[in-house]
Amino acid sequence: MRTCPTCQRPVAEGQKFCSHDGTRIPQDVAPQQVSAPAPPVAPTVPPQYAPTPTQPPNVSHAPHASAQDAPIERLKCQWCESMNEKGATTCRTCGAPLDIKNLVSESGWREAPRLKDMTEFQFGQSTCQVEGEIVPVAELNLAPGDAVYFEHHVLLWKDDITPMSTMPLQGGIKRVLAGMPFIISVANGPGRVAFSRDATGELVVLPLHPGMELDVREHAFLLASHHINYSFVRVKGLRNILFGGQGMFMDRFVTGPTPGMLILHGYGNVFERVLRPGESIMVEPGAFLYKDSSVTMDVEFVQLTSGWFGGSTMSLARMTGPGRVGIQSMYVHHHTE
Amino acid sequence: MSNIPVERHYTCPWCNTVSDGTQLSCPGCGVSIDVEKIVTKSGWIEMPGRKDMTKIQLGHSSLQIEGEYVPVADFNLAPNDGVYFSHHVLLWMDTQVKVSAMSLKGAWNRLFAGLPLIMTEAQGPGHIAFTRDAPGELIALPIQPGQAVDVREHIFLVATHSVSYDWFDTGVWFTTQEDNSSKTHYPLGRYMDRFFAQQAPGLLLLHAAGNAFIRHLAPGQSILVKPTALLFKDPTVQMHLHLEYPRGSSGSSWGLFSSSWRSRHLWLKLYGPGRVAIHSAYDPAGDDGRVIWRHSDATQQEW
Repeated sequence: MRTCPTCQRPVAEGQKFCSHDGTRIPQDVAPQQVSAPAPPVAPTVPPQYAPTPTQPPNVSHAPHASAQDAPIERLKCQWCESMNEKGATTCRTCGAPLDIKNLVSESGWREAPRLKDMTEFQFGQSTCQVEGEIVPVAELNLAPGDAVYFEHHVLLWKDDITPMSTMPLQGGIKRVLAGMPFIISVANGPGRVAFSRDATGELVVLPLHPGMELDVREHAFLLASHHINYSFVRVKGLRNILFGGQGMFMDRFVTGPTPGMLILHGYGNVFERVLRPGESIMVEPGAFLYKDSSVTMDVEFVQLTSGWFGGSTMSLARMTGPGRVGIQSMYVHHHTE
Repeated sequence: MSNIPVERHYTCPWCNTVSDGTQLSCPGCGVSIDVEKIVTKSGWIEMPGRKDMTKIQLGHSSLQIEGEYVPVADFNLAPNDGVYFSHHVLLWMDTQVKVSAMSLKGAWNRLFAGLPLIMTEAQGPGHIAFTRDAPGELIALPIQPGQAVDVREHIFLVATHSVSYDWFDTGVWFTTQEDNSSKTHYPLGRYMDRFFAQQAPGLLLLHAAGNAFIRHLAPGQSILVKPTALLFKDPTVQMHLHLEYPRGSSGSSWGLFSSSWRSRHLWLKLYGPGRVAIHSAYDPAGDDGRVIWRHSDATQQEW
């Protein structure tokens, strides 16, 4: 039985990547067969009879077993917290550079990792390569059985053999009235397909672990893998709808038992902050990009008056934790349709 | 050999702040000083790159500049310190920061000129951050007591309380006429912002769309720039309208200013001495191509 070199979970025969963390499974290593000669390690002991940590290990085999028994050194990605092999320069799951210091402002905002040009990472059996830096392109090489969905206006190019379909959506009339796309397109593997948006910005790669729920500003998502369930939630409160800067609905992405990958496009630079329970921050509504569903958002008004001329009202969104909040630094809304 | 350390001086080409040059960035404006100054053959100095998360100390307060495509100015305001800004540039703030309106003189004129009627001010303590809606660069201009700078409208991002704000008529305009209707155009905007420090130094932050360049004009030296490309200038720099008609241009040559827009270039002519700064991504100047009927002081060139 093969095992993933990163998470040590069993991998099915013929599988090229670990279905848990996307690690590429080396093909040149012979699978560990039951009939294979036993390696020079201590025999398997049932857990209840295993030696306690205080007992010294059988050192007689140490010179031969050191390569396999030594703890595997792993690099933890500071953006998505995935584990990577020692020596990796980019995260295999989200493409974030592992050899560059995490940029966090004194106020606590973490800058989204600047993906190196031509960075490649994996999801499922497929790969994604990020090309360009000013208006980056996400180019996918979809494996058979894998698929991604997206709003049709972000499609840049595709192989003519890449099958396309549409995702049935509920609440079509509501979506049309709210200005959301009526149809979500799906690209199925095998084949290549590439996506980009229409403005300077950053791709934000968010691997979603099982059980995660993420709310995203409408039209901000570039693509999501088919393991992620897509729905939309109505923004609550008339004030939030009228002055929240994002319309009536937000996209909601929920993962089931299988992890998935979500890629957003943020205008300008993207920053993320983790709010503690009850912690609040005031954000320009147009700058909101994404949040964990546990974070609440309420629009508040600040009156700015100036004598005879009345004045104006400034609306700000109060985001209250716990959870992540992502914002974009260029918050003009670019209409692409 | 003497062991007495040699005192070093580094003058920032952008903001003229003098420092010892041992830091990686200018303490006045935050631009990198460990890189070679980039000067075009024509004499324009390109704004040096600024390292992501560069920090500038402003008395008890501080400023951190985050991001590179559309950079964010993140102020950490100390108690009793404050900044003012147009409210549409606010990105986020801590809940304890107090914001209020700062009334301005000449509200009617500002209203008709399309300028913000209200300047918003924020009082520390707490964090507050600003950004604009276009890729470009943040320009930090330290202003010393007695110093002033003229900024084209809608370029201003935020200023500290110690910087005073005023505005003046640009005096650059022309009127076009067709049939019985006439329209007055202000290619530079009707008004220009003037920021000056009276007793204490302060910091002014501008946002340039695209890349920013600065040039020092000698006394009497002139240059033509597109009006909407102007970022800021020293008050000593004088300006007026300049009209240029290429040779062989289409359109009527009847009258001095009657050519069609295809053959007419509108320029802003600037005279030294002083600094002039421009940005590379600018809106086209408002010229409807109609016959120019009247105009402010202008020079012209017909090729």
